[in-house]
Amino acid sequence: MASLPTPNPQPTKQTPATLNPEALGERLQQLARSSGIQRWDLGASCSTDTSVQVDRGEAKQMKGAQRSAITVRVWNGDGLVGITSTSDLSDGGLARALAGARDASSFGNAEETPAFSPLATAPLASLEQPLHEPQPILTLLDTLKQAERDLLARHAAIGTVPYNGLAQRSSERLYLNSDGARRHQVLTTASIYLYARAEETGRKPRSAGAVRLGYGTADLDIAGCIEEAAERTIAHLDYAPIETGHYTCVFSPEAFLDLIGAFSSLFNARAVLDGVSLSQRDSLGSNLAVPFLSIRDNGLHPGNVGASAFDGEGTPTAPLDLVEGGVLRNFLHSEATARAFGVAPTGHAGLGAKVSVGADWFEIGATPGSDGGQQGLNRFSHAGPLVVIDSLSALHAGVKASQGSFSLPFDGWLVQNGVSRSIEAATVAGDIRAVLQAIVGFEGDAKITPDGLCPYVWVEGLSITGEA
Amino acid sequence: MPAVGAIADGFDHTWRPRLDSLLAAGRGAGADLVEIFLERTDHIGVLAEQDTITSVSPAFGMGAGIRVFCGERDGFVSTNDLSDRGLLQALEQALGMLGLTRTSTPALGFEGLGALADFAGAKAHWLNGCPSLTEATLKLLEGTARLAHHGRHLQARRASYARDWQSVLVAASDGTFAQDIRLHQSLGLNVLAADGEHRAGLGRRYGTSGRPDDLRQWDADASAQDVCASVGTMLYADYVEAGQMPAVLANRFGGVIFHEACGHLLETTQVERGTTPFADKVGERIAHEAVTAIDEGLTDGAFGSLSMDDEGMEPQRTVLIENGVLKRFLSDRAGQRRTGHERTGSGRRQSHAFAAASRMRNTFIAAGPHTPDALIASVDKGLYCKSMGGGSVGPTGQFNFAVEEGYLIENGQLTKPVKGATLIGEAKEVMPRISMCANDLELAAGFCGSVSGSIFVTVGQPHIKVDSITVGGR
Repeated sequence: MASLPTPNPQPTKQTPATLNPEALGERLQQLARSSGIQRWDLGASCSTDTSVQVDRGEAKQMKGAQRSAITVRVWNGDGLVGITSTSDLSDGGLARALAGARDASSFGNAEETPAFSPLATAPLASLEQPLHEPQPILTLLDTLKQAERDLLARHAAIGTVPYNGLAQRSSERLYLNSDGARRHQVLTTASIYLYARAEETGRKPRSAGAVRLGYGTADLDIAGCIEEAAERTIAHLDYAPIETGHYTCVFSPEAFLDLIGAFSSLFNARAVLDGVSLSQRDSLGSNLAVPFLSIRDNGLHPGNVGASAFDGEGTPTAPLDLVEGGVLRNFLHSEATARAFGVAPTGHAGLGAKVSVGADWFEIGATPGSDGGQQGLNRFSHAGPLVVIDSLSALHAGVKASQGSFSLPFDGWLVQNGVSRSIEAATVAGDIRAVLQAIVGFEGDAKITPDGLCPYVWVEGLSITGEA
Repeated sequence: MPAVGAIADGFDHTWRPRLDSLLAAGRGAGADLVEIFLERTDHIGVLAEQDTITSVSPAFGMGAGIRVFCGERDGFVSTNDLSDRGLLQALEQALGMLGLTRTSTPALGFEGLGALADFAGAKAHWLNGCPSLTEATLKLLEGTARLAHHGRHLQARRASYARDWQSVLVAASDGTFAQDIRLHQSLGLNVLAADGEHRAGLGRRYGTSGRPDDLRQWDADASAQDVCASVGTMLYADYVEAGQMPAVLANRFGGVIFHEACGHLLETTQVERGTTPFADKVGERIAHEAVTAIDEGLTDGAFGSLSMDDEGMEPQRTVLIENGVLKRFLSDRAGQRRTGHERTGSGRRQSHAFAAASRMRNTFIAAGPHTPDALIASVDKGLYCKSMGGGSVGPTGQFNFAVEEGYLIENGQLTKPVKGATLIGEAKEVMPRISMCANDLELAAGFCGSVSGSIFVTVGQPHIKVDSITVGGR
């Protein structure tokens, strides 16, 4: 049996993993030079996480994690790119990653070779992201136990909170390249989610939840999370089936952002070039939506907790108007897609042999200066029946992004004559292009969610399938 | 201290002294059980689009997950640092989560690790036996070329290949000491067809475990024909009319309905959470008597097969439902401690970063006495689901899954193709409505995402008939 060091009577704290950009850059440069590699770049991350889950007043699981990962790209003598990823940041691991990337470069795509972003050394926006010291895990446990107790106490029918968690993370990201680009970001974040299950005698169980994000556990709006989870769950207790048919629907901010996110290939230059987007190269300038709709990608919005200051290629994150006055204005780009379109990278790239492109955080609402559609919409003073879509499920299965169609289960309410009643079970189906052209207007103020900023959105004529 | 990478390169009996020490320290601190999971991985992903290789993505990694139980509670810590210091720090953190502190007290009740159960020895050649990158890229390009040959109006053609190799070592303070090597290979073909306003996208996945030669044996032409025939049909399909109707679900990936609708509810993780309606139904009828359902990890080459689970236990053939009666739940260490259901070799996890949980392996409804045609002939008006997309199950048992390729059944005959269908329902209500099972059981590879990450699984069934189900559509 091997001997272990003498026990330390002090409780062990997990030491946050750290990245040293200078040291890592120097090590990689040396290893690259000794392998005859002239051109390389690297994305790295490390994080330290702790999280807890509870079950009816007891700890269910407590977790800690220390993770590190790097992705190395190298350009070979023919200018082709290869890549390798590893969680091994030792010298041996870096050397193996470089060798792997060099081997993979023999299979690089000569028709589309990524290059360094021309903006990889451009100034970054300053982000207001306070760093928080992690709390001891037993403190997290006490906090979550209390949150569970408070939520269970909100209604006799709420019997359990089967999905819950309180988590905190300290993380670092960096991007380096052989031309001297050096990006480094340090971040702390925290999150809580509470998903309650309620059941009344002789009726089906119902469930709903809420989530909150912050820069540290002290920042989290736990009371708001409990309130929202309770309100949503209780509001679904009195349910009834809905008749299949076509309805005017009111999407919650979360549901509409989910829908737009699932069809974000509409705005994605990578998907356009690959032929799997509903948009074409020449779609810019076309009418995609009603003339009062704006969609902006803005990863720098202060509501975007944990925003990245730069993308996987080191390009600064920046706001980008995607749809303005219903007109498609811009696509999201990586370095390679931007080059293909003759524009500048937009800060939405990953890092890979084939670089992915993705949206950051949407701002959706009325185009400034437009009429914003119908004014003063209020579901409780509307004459006809309305379906309020509170949350969508199974987007991975029910969305055909390249075809435009969707068919999704949802939780929501039928509002008739000012009275709201939960819908037992139903799906909503449609085509995203038709949805964007059938927006009637907006209800209420825009709300900040983890995925973006959006008000309630009214859409006419969607197909609802119920069990009545 | 040796370099991290050097340590990771060998999982074998030489780890015994270090693991013994860690486990003894954990038990000495007062833990009921300590488990250490070590992992080393080697992955290759290759993508061909149209007639070009557009991505080759190698990745390798390593790590450890340390879990400490005290009563029904547990603490879990994962780390990429396999040095002595890194593992000790992870153990101490996991102990600390349960209010335990390492002391100099000798461990009571820990007799040391047992003999190494070596499931890896016969598999040492697997990684080198896999196709080279050159072979893989040529095979994928053959796939996209065959798609071009057989398809019409194809706007995008993709073939993808993933090879996942994993070496694991599991040690626990109950004496468990076992190592294994796993190899999973999967192939995907995806197409998008477009003709004017008509668009249809479709894909197929093929996957096996423990067969290094698998990609070489792949019949790219047959797969391409299959995909192109389906997408050609669906390109001009109308949207399905929504409503309640009988449905016949084809074999192979049709088994996702049982996986989502019922299988997840028979995992002890759901019993622990109180989210399964079947928790107290063992011995009771929960499905139509036509239904017998099995979960096992034994079928040679199947995607969900294992030599041992991620807790070092050999898998079983577990009969979940027999003639409609609930027989057993799938259970892991935590499930056994918290629910009393005996372990079934079903403790699984995506990687060291996840604590194992009770998860499905190869899960299927057993074959019945009917022919597939008899099922279709028994329906006056309904839906035939030839190919399924993905699905999910919610916290109160509602399930949903997309129909990728569907046809109307009218007067006992398949008529026109329809698209946009989603099947929704609740397990408790649908299981008694599976009234007929055909005699053509087949399995299909898939991935399942849940509490312990994304894992390799097999779903399967013969053709089955559901007497009534809600079909979402337009």
